[in-house]
Amino acid sequence: MLHCMFLLSDVGEVMLEKQWMGQQVDRSICTWFWTQAHPPGHDEFGPPRVPAVIASPTYYLISIVREGVTFLACTLSEMQPLLGIEFLCRVADVLAEYFGGLNEDLIKDNYVLVYQLLDEMMDSGFPLTTEPSILKEMIAPPNFVSRVLSVVTGGSSSMSSTLPTAASSNVPWRALGIKHTNNEIYFDLVEEVDAIVNKDGFLVKCQVYGEVQGNSRLSGMPDLTLNFTNPSIISDVRFHPCVRYQDWEARQHLKFIPPDGQFKLMSYRVKGLENTPLYVKPQLSCSEGVVRVNILVGIRIDPGRTIENIVVDVPWPPTVTTAELTANHGTVLFNSSTKVCTWTIGRIPKDKSPCLTGSVNLEAGLDRLHEFPTILVGFKIMGVALSGLKVDKLEYDNIAYRVYKGFRAVTKATCYEIRT
Amino acid sequence: MNADNRKGELAELKGQLRQLAGSRAPGVEDLKRELYKKVISYLTVGIDVSSLFSEMVMCSATSDLVLKKMCYLYVGNYARGYPELALLTINFLQKDCQDDDPMIRGLALRSLCSLRVKNLVEYLVGPLQRGLKDSNGYVRSVAAIGVLKLYHIAPSSCTDNDFPVTLKALLLHDSDPQVVANCLCSLLEILSIEGNVSEAALREKESLLHRNVILSLLNRFKEFSEWAQCLVLEVVSKYVPEDAQETHDMMDVLDDRLQHANSAVVLATIKVFLHLTMSMADVHQKVYERIKAPLLTLVSSGSAEQSYAVLSHLHLLVMRAPMLFASDYKHFYCRYSDPSYVKKLKLEMLTAVANESNTYEIVTELSEYAANVDVAIARESIRAVGKIALQQYDVNAIVDRLLQFLEMEKDYVTAETLVLVKDLLRKYPQWSHDCIAVVGNVSSKSVTEPKAKAALVWMLGEYAYDMSDAPYVLEGFVQSWAEEDFAEVRLELLTAVAKCFFKRPPETVQILGAALSFGFADANQDVHDRALLYYRLLQHSVEVAERVINPPKQAVSVFAGDQSSEIKDRIFDEFNSLAVVYRQPSYMFLDKDQRSPFAFSEDTGSSIIGPQSPGREDLPSDIDARDNDLLLSAHEKEDSRAVSNGSHGYSSSKFHTLQEFTDSAFAPRSPSPTQPIRNARATPLPPAAVSSTAASPLLAVDDLLGLGPSASAEPFPPLKLNPKPVLDPASFKRKWGQLTVALTLEYTFPAQAMVGLTGPQPLVRHMQTNSVQCMASGNAPLKFFFFAQLADAPANTGFFLVELVVTTSSGLASAKIKADDSSLAPAFADSLQSALSKFGSL
Repeated sequence: MLHCMFLLSDVGEVMLEKQWMGQQVDRSICTWFWTQAHPPGHDEFGPPRVPAVIASPTYYLISIVREGVTFLACTLSEMQPLLGIEFLCRVADVLAEYFGGLNEDLIKDNYVLVYQLLDEMMDSGFPLTTEPSILKEMIAPPNFVSRVLSVVTGGSSSMSSTLPTAASSNVPWRALGIKHTNNEIYFDLVEEVDAIVNKDGFLVKCQVYGEVQGNSRLSGMPDLTLNFTNPSIISDVRFHPCVRYQDWEARQHLKFIPPDGQFKLMSYRVKGLENTPLYVKPQLSCSEGVVRVNILVGIRIDPGRTIENIVVDVPWPPTVTTAELTANHGTVLFNSSTKVCTWTIGRIPKDKSPCLTGSVNLEAGLDRLHEFPTILVGFKIMGVALSGLKVDKLEYDNIAYRVYKGFRAVTKATCYEIRT
Repeated sequence: MNADNRKGELAELKGQLRQLAGSRAPGVEDLKRELYKKVISYLTVGIDVSSLFSEMVMCSATSDLVLKKMCYLYVGNYARGYPELALLTINFLQKDCQDDDPMIRGLALRSLCSLRVKNLVEYLVGPLQRGLKDSNGYVRSVAAIGVLKLYHIAPSSCTDNDFPVTLKALLLHDSDPQVVANCLCSLLEILSIEGNVSEAALREKESLLHRNVILSLLNRFKEFSEWAQCLVLEVVSKYVPEDAQETHDMMDVLDDRLQHANSAVVLATIKVFLHLTMSMADVHQKVYERIKAPLLTLVSSGSAEQSYAVLSHLHLLVMRAPMLFASDYKHFYCRYSDPSYVKKLKLEMLTAVANESNTYEIVTELSEYAANVDVAIARESIRAVGKIALQQYDVNAIVDRLLQFLEMEKDYVTAETLVLVKDLLRKYPQWSHDCIAVVGNVSSKSVTEPKAKAALVWMLGEYAYDMSDAPYVLEGFVQSWAEEDFAEVRLELLTAVAKCFFKRPPETVQILGAALSFGFADANQDVHDRALLYYRLLQHSVEVAERVINPPKQAVSVFAGDQSSEIKDRIFDEFNSLAVVYRQPSYMFLDKDQRSPFAFSEDTGSSIIGPQSPGREDLPSDIDARDNDLLLSAHEKEDSRAVSNGSHGYSSSKFHTLQEFTDSAFAPRSPSPTQPIRNARATPLPPAAVSSTAASPLLAVDDLLGLGPSASAEPFPPLKLNPKPVLDPASFKRKWGQLTVALTLEYTFPAQAMVGLTGPQPLVRHMQTNSVQCMASGNAPLKFFFFAQLADAPANTGFFLVELVVTTSSGLASAKIKADDSSLAPAFADSLQSALSKFGSL
């Protein structure tokens, strides 16, 4: 049972508090939390230095940080830890979806809406409705249209006075009687590469995390079946509650009645990829307080589409003072306070392979580099799911209209690491 | 100035609200809404807007839902502080409770229940009763939670109106799953609080675990929202199925929940699976296989916060079944972007899953972290390498790695590595040649950390034969005695110099003299005593001194574990609880079954335990220290073992040499003079072996001591306890954390004694007359923390700590006894039992 929740700004200021139990929790707990999470003398704006669950002298504190906003919940009794963490994540997701983003200003501009949402999401410390599509039926999001309407007609409330019909149906994620003029549904296959190359150049780990994200604008109660051409390559699947698991078990296709609007249909993992599309070869050699740097980037396997937004980050240790680095392609920036060198490549040119060269200087007295940086590489490939997963077809049932269907795929690298 | 401004603004707002209150002009709702928004945002930033209360209520007559909601919010915020004003709101809330729109009915009922003003309870009962019978599920579900709120304000008016009975009926028969879930939630909470005082409520709570209820919940399981599923799963995990078939059926129903997108549902399901199969070894093993993939996915694909919580649980599982994750070790490789608390847990996982097949890869990976930018993680990873080495897989390769670390010439890497090399040498003396060659090259100047210095000094003393310049390096250390701030190092230095003296007397004799004289003058008591002891031993006879200080070593086979298995088992019972994430059984800080705070004993006048959980730096860091530092724990253990002599690694055969010291120190109090050092061997005994029945506590105590039945005829000599012992709460807490349970005791209070035991106080007072003091006590369940001290024991020693839990229904009292000197625990248990038996008979 969560007693209360606070939203803290990126400097630890309490933006909003919501108490769910009779016993009010004093705001001073936030100050205590903030000094634990950001002890004086450390990077004030960095990530918190405490885990998601800690115990204060009086309460258990559960916290998550999203876009600089800290969601802090307190409880006095034993509870399921992930229930607390997952709930806070949902609150963050719902707020972000309502406001089209998450930051201090958006929350301060929409206090009333946040209170309304929190009221419906939890009562007496237990989570109730967190499905965005259902919440939107009860509490209208602050979109441009409704704002215009309220100005013009001078009275319409920002919430529909109808109760969500789904709350009492067998399909708790979908309301009855949804109507759209254009019936369309889109699916995005979003894959993220998680790879580590060790300092000897071996790929020690390479896998792909994928998500199937849907955006449904279909009327009525459509029953959909999504088939993959090669479902056998994926493992460790997790589904939105709408997916009927037995069908997946038996025939490896997804049968479901979709929620309205955006939703995450499933997530999966593809293990044991042998290679990454890009190679990054760093060479560092030290002598007399100077580190010579040479980093080569190139395409290892052509994924069939252009690799875009290639960025190479080299977070140097604090002992590095200055850097003189140039590249034959793209731009190089060295941030002298964080010591991060960011090399923005973009696309790889046809005629040459991008190369970063130069040297960095160490603090006086240091002969060679003791702490070696881990190079972080980011990129994006539109139109390709790196794992090779392909959607075969989408069939629909229980509806009489024609459906416009759209599929897209994208691969992103978020944690491709090369150790030196 | 600012305050004046604000006052002006508030007055203005007040005026505007007044004007709008009666107005029916078009557009007035919009104006109201703007004003309300202003009020709410003042409220949110913490400005006191309670002065607007009556105006806000006057304006509340509106059909606009958002306005209503804002008004409810405002009223809910201030009602508690201004009960007489809250009365003003009752009228319109009650009216709204009968609105045509179910949404408004629900919201009004929720607000009404959230006022939490005691003297308004009478206005609550009627709307709640109607709410529970409402035709709309939304209203019923609000009402179900409302009952719980009513119970928190006025328990008697909740039970007097038979609300629990109504909830139970709804739980079984309502068509709306959310209503069912809310009923379950309220009932569980009400009955578990009520159960502390009433037998009937306790039975009622148990009846929720009845087969019919569980099956009806499971049958409609998929209708529940994901959060309600978590709640139901928690209840189901306490259910014991009738037969294996039922177990399998239940698991079939729940199997797909392991694939759920909500990690809380996944974990709750896992808990059910583990509990259902606890007694079916083969299925239990299959369950581990089944839950593996979902857990690993949660670790790698969730947010850092989720990974952390899941990893904590994985850690627990790995302790149970290390083989299970042996091939999935790559999931625990640290990412650069992981927060350091996640990295730390991953390192522990890597350590835990290491076995013959994967050690090479894991150690390679860990070695890369040693050059990591994050110093704290680099240290941790070196320790992890050491721990794996001590688990004796592929030691050869690991020793090479460790020695490479020394060549990195980084201060903290060298420091950590020295400590590890020392541990390794104690376990695998056969590696001494390789290690010593490299350690000899470490410049003693570059070692600054006390632990590393102590390790280096230990090696210098131990391997004085192999390191040609050992005496001279030691001489350097002795000469800078005055600059050495840490007693730990100075103690080690004394021992090392003495050992070096036995090995290479001519070169060391002068240094020894210097070290001893520095030692005599040392301000630290331990250092002083050790110097004196060595001096006297040497004076007495050099041979005896050598036998004591420098005996032949036996390799240490097992280092003291970090957490006792008792604690680990306990945490396992609490799977899917905060305790797991926090790595402490929940009894150590928050009391699980009750919200009412512990009553603190006035006599000690201070507080411990109870909801005032240990501060972050306090207990957890103790545990951390033990977790992370094998050396330290081994060190401390031995210090206590060797009583006044701090030197390490005695083989047990050498103990008799010490007997002349220990005998004189312990004989008068020791129950059996032939086992004076028993305390050093006291290890946590499996509770089953120790827990005795009330009928034959003595017999069990004998088992503990391993004495034959013949000895049991002799009762223990009664302990003399200090009638007024002094122990501050912090020390109690520390001792409780450090000591292991010496023995457990069960005693059943006779019925007439239980009559007097309505609260903790009578027993607290009774025990005081028996020289047992209460540190803290709590009601419901009755729980006490007692302590006692041996008469004439030096300050801060000779303490006995007791945790006593009394089950009110059966009168069964179970005690956990911890003692500074666990050999005296049986005798203490004896006096404790006799003190307990006197309770109520006076």
